[in-house]
Amino acid sequence: MNGPLELGWMQLAGAAALLLLNAGLSVALRLGLERTIAVAAVRAAAQLALLGLVLESIFGWDRWEPVAGWCFLMIVLAARAGVRRSKRRYTGIDSVGFVALAVAGGSTAWLATTVLIGVEPWWAPRYLIPLLGMILGNALTGISLGLDRCLQELDEGAERVDLALALGATRSEAARPVAAEALRAGMIPILNSMTVVGLVTIPGMMTGQLLGGVDPGTAARYQLLILFLIAAATAAGTGLAVFGSLRALFDDQHRLRRERISLR
Amino acid sequence: MGRRVDDRWLFRGLDLSVAGGDVLVVRGPSGCGKTCLLRLLAWLDAPDEGRVTLGERGPADIGAPWWRRRVAYVPQTPPALQGTPAEFLARVGTFRTGNARRDPVGIAEGWGLPPSTWDQPWSRLSGGERQRALLALGLCGDPEVLLLDEPTSALDDEATAAVEATLSGRTAVWVTHDAAQADRVATNVLELGTP
Repeated sequence: MNGPLELGWMQLAGAAALLLLNAGLSVALRLGLERTIAVAAVRAAAQLALLGLVLESIFGWDRWEPVAGWCFLMIVLAARAGVRRSKRRYTGIDSVGFVALAVAGGSTAWLATTVLIGVEPWWAPRYLIPLLGMILGNALTGISLGLDRCLQELDEGAERVDLALALGATRSEAARPVAAEALRAGMIPILNSMTVVGLVTIPGMMTGQLLGGVDPGTAARYQLLILFLIAAATAAGTGLAVFGSLRALFDDQHRLRRERISLR
Repeated sequence: MGRRVDDRWLFRGLDLSVAGGDVLVVRGPSGCGKTCLLRLLAWLDAPDEGRVTLGERGPADIGAPWWRRRVAYVPQTPPALQGTPAEFLARVGTFRTGNARRDPVGIAEGWGLPPSTWDQPWSRLSGGERQRALLALGLCGDPEVLLLDEPTSALDDEATAAVEATLSGRTAVWVTHDAAQADRVATNVLELGTP
């Protein structure tokens, strides 16, 4: 196994110069994107440099508290991003998204480091943080699609739900088709990407491991592990988010409280 | 009973009772709260003040789904539904409250709706076919009180007469714009004014 080739600041500056191509295109075609390109490049550089610094210190401290804090922050940011992508909202949707991601992401990442990889200690940041990050980043897509579909069905399809209720359905019986649609919407992207992975794309994590000198077989197995973890976390997270939303939007008198849903 | 929409009262201080076998016809201009009143009685919406009871007991006492089996609300037209009326009927049969005491296909056949219609997708049915299928679904649990919202608005005279004949003798709160129908079926009339 070869170690990673060192990438220095000069080489990076060379790569950054490639952005001049984007800027040039924007100027030539008057896209008006020069500012956006500059801001995006600076943000990406700043965020990743910061991440590098933070991870360096967290790896160095060898204590669980900063690892826990960083994981908490990741979950908060992922939940915010997931919830904000949905067109509708209700009071409490932020906490539902947070709990769903925390439980689904946290438990799958824990399962991976303890049972599947067997890292000692299980919270070793070099494993836990990137694994949790990959899981959260993908599960939040499922959660946001599932939430979006769930709220859309309850809002635009309120008459369908009310008809079932009027014919004697309990709230869970009336909500069942909504939950099914929402779960399907949340899970389809990860299932799709599992069917084409390796044929069309070499996923980011496998690319990273290959560049880092890991042999292709190991890199492929790690990638597969990640995919399965993501699929499980997406299913669990979407299920929790949809279930929590249904709890919040039906009352104990088996009424759909459509007025609690608002468009952003 | 009272119901508020935003900051104004749609109606307030409404006090009504319907005796067994009576038909209370509700009339009034569009937007006066006729449908809203039916939804309150079906416990699909919460009143801002007041309560509803069947005999001595309210929906909270007997459980909202069981209340709705006994006090059945039939909307004017069914919402856009997937599948066929037969599939929808099968789904209603899976509800915990749902044991069909009447055969809706047979009821609707008496209104000129052939049984084969139940296997057509909802989207292919005419307004009148949907309305009869929906009304028959509302009747299949043999409810004690019917809450009807313009139940014959899409039907011709013949089908309307057949529906009225089936419903005669049933306790109902019946919203209609049709003055002649109101005269035929009403034992009492409630006029709701513009709020």
